[in-house]
Amino acid sequence: MTEARRPIDETEARWNGRTWSARSVGSRWQHRFFYTLIRLAGRRAAYVMAAFVALYYVLFRPSVRNRSRPYLSRRFPRRNALMRLLDSYRITIEIGEVLVDRASLGILGPGQLAVRHSRREELLVRIREGRGLILVTAHAGCWQFAMESLRVLETPVSLLLHREEGDVDLHIFEHRSDDAAFRVIDPAGPLGGTLEMLHVLKHGEVLCIMGDRRMGGDRSTVEVDFLGGRVRVPFTPYHLASATGAPVVVIFPYKSGPGNYSLQVANVIRVPEGLGRAPEAYRPYAESYIRALEGFVGEHPYQFFNFFDMWNQEPIR
Amino acid sequence: MTTVEKLKAILVKDLNLEELTPGDIDENAPLFGEGLGLDSLDAVELVVVVQKHFGIDIQNMDEAKAAFQSVRSLASYIEGRLSGG
Repeated sequence: MTEARRPIDETEARWNGRTWSARSVGSRWQHRFFYTLIRLAGRRAAYVMAAFVALYYVLFRPSVRNRSRPYLSRRFPRRNALMRLLDSYRITIEIGEVLVDRASLGILGPGQLAVRHSRREELLVRIREGRGLILVTAHAGCWQFAMESLRVLETPVSLLLHREEGDVDLHIFEHRSDDAAFRVIDPAGPLGGTLEMLHVLKHGEVLCIMGDRRMGGDRSTVEVDFLGGRVRVPFTPYHLASATGAPVVVIFPYKSGPGNYSLQVANVIRVPEGLGRAPEAYRPYAESYIRALEGFVGEHPYQFFNFFDMWNQEPIR
Repeated sequence: MTTVEKLKAILVKDLNLEELTPGDIDENAPLFGEGLGLDSLDAVELVVVVQKHFGIDIQNMDEAKAAFQSVRSLASYIEGRLSGG
């Protein structure tokens, strides 16, 4: 036997090399304060407090402000310094409210918020094909709520989600004792959770993957243009689609008003079967996704929450 | 040709293990990580390869985890499925 072709611990290498963190910037007591406020005074009181906290972060925590700068400066390239500050405040408030909504759902239960599904029938038709359904989404809106709302599909939903060690910000289902609406597959698990993802699709179920953030080494990503710069995005969804014949539907959740969210079906992507393992074969489908994402951030610029410099990532081997 | 030999030839060809020949592959070595060095992308392709060349649709990924330990274990799994096991 010769030397191994790629003698690496893939899972370890890819997670050590990340340039982003899913961990909240808030401390444990700050989160508990908000959870208590929601319990005692409700969601709207927490919005008011979130507005002050957002102001504090934007004015006095430049490290937090800087996290949104790479995206905002590309989305709004001609802004002056004051407008940039306002953009930063606006997106910080938006995510603050989304986090309040998420906690409210977990603490106070469903009924706090409503979600409207555009083209829900489209999703049902794809599920009825019986080859599983891959939903590719982004860090937008209250995406966990969107996942919860997929109960209407009456098909088990699994979500590729990495729980950051030591993160104090609870997911919706972690607030409650009842069963989560979706099953979590950890991409830091054995073989990146690949076999579990295949299992979901082979059983005709729904698999949801974030298409805007690489979760593996560069080998599982392709480079595409996004807002005038090159970014690396995962091609795993399209690879799985090619292997299983599952259709890919691009969805984006966003907050459409006080207490209201919408789930936008932005695109349906068909990936031919048998494309193999060469990343280049999947670039057109990743491009298709990223064009849909550009359309989404064009319409809802403050609902895209990707707080790291996705245009300037170190290669991960 | 035995199932093990057939599998080795298929792996070299379908997974583009260009620097290897079937004879280089240790049938008892782990397929992933240390050993043959396959990764998560290859796991997807393995499922495809087994279906394409042996007509076996792997539905149960717990079975796949056990089968994907080595070429030998995968060959045993395939032989078991082909014999109706």
